[in-house]
Amino acid sequence: MSNGDEIVFVVDDDARVRLGFSELLESWGWRVETFATAADYAARARPDLAACLILDVRLPDISGLEFQAQQSADAHPPIVFVTGHGDIPSTVRAMRLGAVDFLTKPVGESALVAAVRDAIGRDRLRRQARSERDELERRFATLTPREHDVLPLVVSGLLNKQAAAELGVSQVTIEMHRRRIMQKMQASSLPELVRMAERLHVPVRHSRRSGHS
Amino acid sequence: MISAYARRRAVFMFAGCALGAILAVAGVVLLLPAMDGPRAPVPWAAFLVLAAGLVLVAAAGAMAVPDAEAAQARRIIESMPGHAWSADPNGRFTYVSASALRFLGERAEVLGPEPDSDEFGWRRVVHPDDYDRVAARWRHCLATGDRYDTEHRIRRADGVYQWFRNSGLPIRDRHGRIAGWYGTTIEIEEQKQAEAALLERERELTHLVEMVPSHLWRLAPDGEPIFFNRRMTEYLGRTVEDLGEPRTGRLEALMAAVHPDDVAEVRARLAASLGSGDSFALRYRLRRGDGAFRWMSSRAEAMRDREGSIVQWYGLCHDIDDQMQVEDALRHSESQLRRLIDTVPAMIWTAAPNGTPTSVNRRFNEVTGASLGDITAADGSLSLSFIHPDFRSETARTAARSFATGEPYHMRYLQGRRDGSHRWTETRAEPFRDENGAIRQWYGVSVDIHDLVTAQERLRERERFLWQLVETLPAMVDCAAPDGEPVYRSQQLRAFLGYELEQLDGTGKSRLAATLDAGVHANDLAMVKACYAHSLATGEPYACRHRLRRFDGEYHWVETRAAPMRNLDGVIVQWNVICLDIDGEVRTREMLRAAQESLARASQAASMAELSASIAHEVNQPLAAIVANSQACHRWLSGEPPNVERAKVTAARITRDANSAAEVVSRIRALFRRTPGERAPENINRIIDEVCRLLAEEVAAKEVRVRLELAPDLPCAPLDRVQIQQVVLNLMRNGMEAMEGVPKGERVLGIRTRPGPDGIRVEICDAGAGFADIERAFEPFFTTKRSGMGMGLAICRSIVEAHGGRLSIEGAAGCGATVAFTLPTGEGDAP
Repeated sequence: MSNGDEIVFVVDDDARVRLGFSELLESWGWRVETFATAADYAARARPDLAACLILDVRLPDISGLEFQAQQSADAHPPIVFVTGHGDIPSTVRAMRLGAVDFLTKPVGESALVAAVRDAIGRDRLRRQARSERDELERRFATLTPREHDVLPLVVSGLLNKQAAAELGVSQVTIEMHRRRIMQKMQASSLPELVRMAERLHVPVRHSRRSGHS
Repeated sequence: MISAYARRRAVFMFAGCALGAILAVAGVVLLLPAMDGPRAPVPWAAFLVLAAGLVLVAAAGAMAVPDAEAAQARRIIESMPGHAWSADPNGRFTYVSASALRFLGERAEVLGPEPDSDEFGWRRVVHPDDYDRVAARWRHCLATGDRYDTEHRIRRADGVYQWFRNSGLPIRDRHGRIAGWYGTTIEIEEQKQAEAALLERERELTHLVEMVPSHLWRLAPDGEPIFFNRRMTEYLGRTVEDLGEPRTGRLEALMAAVHPDDVAEVRARLAASLGSGDSFALRYRLRRGDGAFRWMSSRAEAMRDREGSIVQWYGLCHDIDDQMQVEDALRHSESQLRRLIDTVPAMIWTAAPNGTPTSVNRRFNEVTGASLGDITAADGSLSLSFIHPDFRSETARTAARSFATGEPYHMRYLQGRRDGSHRWTETRAEPFRDENGAIRQWYGVSVDIHDLVTAQERLRERERFLWQLVETLPAMVDCAAPDGEPVYRSQQLRAFLGYELEQLDGTGKSRLAATLDAGVHANDLAMVKACYAHSLATGEPYACRHRLRRFDGEYHWVETRAAPMRNLDGVIVQWNVICLDIDGEVRTREMLRAAQESLARASQAASMAELSASIAHEVNQPLAAIVANSQACHRWLSGEPPNVERAKVTAARITRDANSAAEVVSRIRALFRRTPGERAPENINRIIDEVCRLLAEEVAAKEVRVRLELAPDLPCAPLDRVQIQQVVLNLMRNGMEAMEGVPKGERVLGIRTRPGPDGIRVEICDAGAGFADIERAFEPFFTTKRSGMGMGLAICRSIVEAHGGRLSIEGAAGCGATVAFTLPTGEGDAP
């Protein structure tokens, strides 16, 4: 079922609960790491795997909700909150900040497993998107400064002639740059290049743009 | 009738003439040779001879005037207008002129001395009234030879008496013996009559002079008094002669009678008049005979003769003392009046009927700095320049109307002052009318009323201020007579009550009683009345909180305080009452209390929630672990193959965690275990009183009436005061809350204490619905109330039981509940 490239982090001040959760999750095949405090979790190096964070609301150093609010969304895996007594305002607040679920102790096995699966699934998608973007940025970084200048003009939908006039170079030069950019960015078509530019937040210089935005 | 004497005289005359002629010739002869040469010695003898001769001739010639002339003389005598006579030394007539005899119709012989009598014959013709006087004189003259000269009446032949003057001279012989008498009798009837008339006139004049009611006098040209009339004499008490002999300082003596203050001027003026001849006129005081000085108006005119030189001065002194007194009085009163007008502290002025100012008094000028000219306009009308500009037009109108109609003039305005300021002045003027009703003059007075006006203004302002203060004070103010009867109510109070004070009159009740009956809430009325009665009787300040009906029928909580105002003798003259609408405050406090209560409940609930959360956490943690472990255990065992080792570990953890949960529960039970506090002997009645005070507002707010029946002289019981207070408070609150559904008037909470067999028994009875299920009432967490933990009765019972007493509930459902508890007094009762 589950494989070893997924990991669940459990943060709970109660050792019994940590043991219980890790026992249960391990019985479902997940790799589990437990932490007594939020600071402990933040401080320790963690394996770079698709992950889920099970966070007790009541923690000795900082409330789980506070911890969630302090971290940027990218800095932690999707969170499943666990609390001894849930209340609606904290639930709403946690969900708004992107929590996967808000579970009340004692937690039912199915609810816990479903939440963990959901969370790890989300993390997987997120990690994939991030690696794609990293690849694009890597490719983008290989462009020469001149190609950096040409790219916005191309994705803005300017004709070669117009782009040449804009930069004060020949149309042939523009044509050459454009080809090189397509190569380096591994774009098979102009629309793909435009989508890549969009993900890279390349500024569009003119409103007249080819293709859909 | 040639006498011997005549003859002798003729002879003598002749001889004399002759001798004289001879002597004269001889003298001439003797003189002639002497005159031829300068022979000095002789001529005197010749002169003497010549002179003697001439004298003799002359004498003889004179004597010779002859008997021839006698006849001539007789003719002359006879033809003269008058009568002549001659008589011998005895008075016998030797000759009576014929005209006389004709006049008398008598013969000369019968006129002489009568024989054998001393009388004279002419007695028959002389007026009998005159005879004795004339006869006496004639006898005297005959005897002495004095010149005879009488005037008397003589009867004419026809019997009419006429006045005659009879004069006679004696003729003496050479021995000096009287030889005879020659006389004339001349009619002086007209002269006599003229004289009589003159006399009469003089008498009249004298009479006039004496009787004229004035003092008349005459002075000599040098001023010496020469005549005083009788009145003058009487006045001075002295005659002119009394002043002294002529030329011996009569004037000085007169001056001594002049008043010392006037004498200098009298002298000066008199001297001036005497010197110049101008008439003299002066008023001065002259001393009367009795020493009193009286004012005299003295005038004198010089009388001059034809040449114009002054003969004498005629003077007149008129006693004007009375007039002077009157004049003095008049002058005095006039000056008084003037002084009055000038010094009276008012500005006085007069104006002509048309309004032209005619005079102002000194003060007017001093105060306003304006003279008569300044207040007179160019056209003669009253100038208003000295009046503040704001008042000019009104003043002009008012003045014009008064001057036109004669209506009294009255104005108040700001009048200018010398220093340029303006002060409030009141001016009134009235016309003075003559007998025909025509206006002759306007008399006006202006009085400075600035201080008065400003004081009044200040007073008014102050009164207005105080009035507004009272009227706008955010409090209801009331003033009452010493007997409590309200006499004044401020706007706020009137508005609150919705009626005027006067509307209470005529109801048959006193205002106070009417107000209280109409306004005070029925539940408070008895207390308020008692309070009022106490204060009015003792004079102690009044203070009371009660509900008062507002105009709209709504009852508001008010706090009324009253204090007596006393006069200097300490007698109450008024009650000053302030009534504050504290409804908002009371309600606010009630709301605050409610909020506090709900807060307390909330915090109680919160602490409960906290507690439960804490309990839940404590219990949930092991439970969560147990659940997770048991599920894991289940999975380890249901795996293919089953992982028994892990399942064993997991099961062991389950046991451990379950024990841990059990421990939590017992820890919580330990938490709730109660420990009793300090105990001291306390009086339960006092505690109940304290709680009633604590709950007073709540009781009022819930409109519950608390009926206390506390047994006196209860023994003290050893108890934890705070805990027992808590019990009483809890039970009272429960009772009040149980009566929320009961109609307001029936919400009675009874609290009773009494000694009982088990110590002191306290009962708290309400009129609520009662307990439906008495047994469950004591269960923890059991409650029929919307709020609350449901721990009240249980805690109360545990407290009471901790004190060794018992708490019980009595009364069936539907007819109120009684919660009773006992507290052992510690004597004989085991705790």
